[in-house]
Amino acid sequence: MTPDFPILSVLIFLPLAASLLLVALRPSQALARGFALAAALAELVLAALPFFSSRLPAAYPGAPAGFFLFEDLPWIERFGIRYTLGMDGISQIMVLLTSFITVVAVLISWRQIKERTPLYYALLLALECTIQGVFLSLDLFLFYLFFEAMLIPIVFLSGIWGNGRPVYSAIKFFLYTFVGSLLMLVSIVTLYLMHGTQTGSYTFALPALVQTSVPYGLALWLFAGFLVAFAVKIPLFPLHSWQPDAYADAPIAGTLLLASLLSKTGAYGLIRFAFPLFPEAARAFTPVLYLAAVFVISFGAWIAFAQKDMKRLVAYSSLSHMGFIALGIAAWSPLALSGALLQMVNHAVTTGALFVVVGMLDERSDNRELAAYGGIWGKVPALSFFFLFFCMASAGLPGLNNFVGEFLVLVGAFKVAPVAALGAFLGIVLTLVYTVRLVQEVLFVKEQKPLELKDLTMREAGVLAVLALVAVYLGVHPTPVLDLFKAPIALLVSR
Amino acid sequence: MIIPDLHTMMPIIITGLGALVVLLCGPLLLSGTTTSIAVVTAAAAGLWAVFTAPSAAPAVAGLTFTPLAQFLIPLFCAAALLTLLLSHGYNENRAIKGEEYPATVLFALFALCVLPCASNLLILFLAIESVSFAFYILVTMDLQRAESGEAGLKYLLMGAVAAAFTAFGFALIFAGSGTLALSGAVAHAGNRAIVAAGWGVVIMGMAFKLSLVPAHLWTPDVYQGAPAPVAAFLSTSSKVAAASLLLMLLAFSPPMPELRIPLVLLSLLSMVVGNLAALRQQNIKRMLAYSSVAHMGYLTLALLTGTRDGYAALLLYGTIYTAMNLAAFGAIASLSLEQERDQITDYAGLGFSAPLRGGVLALAMLALAGLPPTGGFIGKFFIFYSAIRGGETALAIIGILSAAVSSFFYLKVVAQLYMHRSSDPAPRAASAADAAALCCAAAFILVLGVFPAPLIQLVDAALQ
Repeated sequence: MTPDFPILSVLIFLPLAASLLLVALRPSQALARGFALAAALAELVLAALPFFSSRLPAAYPGAPAGFFLFEDLPWIERFGIRYTLGMDGISQIMVLLTSFITVVAVLISWRQIKERTPLYYALLLALECTIQGVFLSLDLFLFYLFFEAMLIPIVFLSGIWGNGRPVYSAIKFFLYTFVGSLLMLVSIVTLYLMHGTQTGSYTFALPALVQTSVPYGLALWLFAGFLVAFAVKIPLFPLHSWQPDAYADAPIAGTLLLASLLSKTGAYGLIRFAFPLFPEAARAFTPVLYLAAVFVISFGAWIAFAQKDMKRLVAYSSLSHMGFIALGIAAWSPLALSGALLQMVNHAVTTGALFVVVGMLDERSDNRELAAYGGIWGKVPALSFFFLFFCMASAGLPGLNNFVGEFLVLVGAFKVAPVAALGAFLGIVLTLVYTVRLVQEVLFVKEQKPLELKDLTMREAGVLAVLALVAVYLGVHPTPVLDLFKAPIALLVSR
Repeated sequence: MIIPDLHTMMPIIITGLGALVVLLCGPLLLSGTTTSIAVVTAAAAGLWAVFTAPSAAPAVAGLTFTPLAQFLIPLFCAAALLTLLLSHGYNENRAIKGEEYPATVLFALFALCVLPCASNLLILFLAIESVSFAFYILVTMDLQRAESGEAGLKYLLMGAVAAAFTAFGFALIFAGSGTLALSGAVAHAGNRAIVAAGWGVVIMGMAFKLSLVPAHLWTPDVYQGAPAPVAAFLSTSSKVAAASLLLMLLAFSPPMPELRIPLVLLSLLSMVVGNLAALRQQNIKRMLAYSSVAHMGYLTLALLTGTRDGYAALLLYGTIYTAMNLAAFGAIASLSLEQERDQITDYAGLGFSAPLRGGVLALAMLALAGLPPTGGFIGKFFIFYSAIRGGETALAIIGILSAAVSSFFYLKVVAQLYMHRSSDPAPRAASAADAAALCCAAAFILVLGVFPAPLIQLVDAALQ
């Protein structure tokens, strides 16, 4: 691949172009989903390309250290706003993850979405565009633009095709994230102005802004602005209350994207922007983050146990698992950070898969009550197998992916904050409790009312099998992925 | 006056002549023809202004074709043009017939074109009052509806008070500085108090025109009563005109620290009260009226910084706001052809049954809420950027939070459009004129959201 080929821009705008085509042409249902799948697969191939290309940083003059793909164009010159994209190991994995999960999202919507299909897939692809933009932007203005623009497609997706109280949940989600992001905007502008007065060059470029010296007191405020924006997305206590509603009421692909990708944009933002920009303030906030993380791990698990609705149960379990990622970030040591990053991928795969399985059950029987199920093990063996598999993966069974991620986070955190690590460890016990309950009530206890269930179709089995293979692969051989993080993490931690 | 001067003043002359031609020849022509003539007139005036070089020397006593005029005249012409396109079908449906309507729109445009050219307080006053005068007539144009007349009367009474304030203020500034020339309206040491008082009274008058809190009370009633295309024109051009009047006064005179407190209060109250009051509205026009109060608060925030950045943000936001509100009211007008759609709930499901107009309305709402990638985001960004840079951080944060509140009521409309169902039959298809006007406004909103750089250059040139 030559440096002239703008692969990063294509990664961002290919889904958008496909999305616009879908809106403009409004093809039939079958054509729309076929086209969406083709676009999503093309994006996946494109996202995999950097793995096979030679990495010569010298090919990209002006690229910051660690970034092996880089694009930089003037955009709004009067304010020093540039269109700057860059890819290092972290963004590479995130971009690949995004394209992979989008393919899954397209596939699991196959039968479920029956009306306004072209618009549905158009929104799905538009969302992919904005998420890729978040993971690739190195200009804070551009990043903010993508971070905010994510809201539009996801709100439409959950509001139009959701169930339960979709409009209420969609608006609640929108308001939480919108307000959070606006506080980040104030921080960004303030930082930009400070940098401008200090150096005379007004720029939103991340590598330049990292050099700004911010007085400690102000840095605390600015960091808080970033933290609120990202904590809403992750979501961390006490900014999480939109999450169970939004997860429960969104269509299944919407939930998958919210849980697997949108929550990761928050964690990614903390790692890429908030911590490097204000290292001292971040250190000051670390105890708060520990507290929030440990609380979310235990509290999420506790509430998950009390749920009667399967999707809500998985939503709270997702909340709980995100706590580990927050814990790893807060510890900010190479070990914990690589655990957190690996866990970001793991969480996307396993929690995403759990939502997919629950969605498949819901699609079959139109019921998400735990009490309505039971004894499906004998009836639908393939579906039950994957259900059990992903429950085990999510609970952290050794040999599967979550185990590695959580282990790294716990070991990494234990070195710097033993108390927090211990608290998180106790949270794992609670995780086991609700997982066992979920497995038992859905798969094994005697059913109250016989349900007519069909087993997996080829398409569904294929999707779940791929997700399961990824989970196994990351569980037994995570080294290639961890290797990708090494260099960027070393750069991040050395600041 | 010599030939080159005539040349530079042509936009004013074109609109004036066009208005007269439409009014005088109207009875002899078909109603469609008068609208066409008016559209051509507006387009011609706008294009003429675009291709004429601005100059510092007055062309006629009291009138100079400044860079600011070169920026604002095409903007006003575009707004008038879109209004004319949008109102054609709307008016025919409501039996608003005859040449008065296009002629009055052109008269308003004529006064709007004079305003940025004024280099003298008297002309400035005449221009802004002629704008208002044309709008008093436009608001009452729908004779079939009692509301329309009531709205016109309210607007006229409030407007008369505002005019009195403005005139009194100008008189005080004249008394203090001894000249009517805009560039000479500088306070002398001995008369500073008089000039400052004059300023205060002028700001009060402009607060009425801009519907800033506490002088905003007429706004919801007038927007609700006026025909929707008129509300579109009123909420954009007359506001931008009033804001640019303040801009011209402030830009020409040395800094007046006394003005900061009143402007801060007007801006703060407008942002907070406007957005909070809009939250409670069920009627979409009233909601947009209160939202416009809030948006004028943002404009005032940019104005009170007193910096080049602030003035640039004001012009930028004024332009984007014009596109957003024309799109919003235009879509409302076009969707209200066979039945009035006043309540927000009347828009249920229209995103699907009328995709173009529903889509434009949704886009306008997202833009007004300030979401990327729309122009509304860029506009708000530069307003708050200039405020933080100008040292008004606290006010900017309050403004940002109130803008966050506002996203709720804009989103309510979007939710109605796409997330609620309605059993009503689909509305009649949009006319070609409506569709063209709405597409123009929507394209403008989107293009500015992604490529604002050319407009920023134009704004910078306008402030030379």
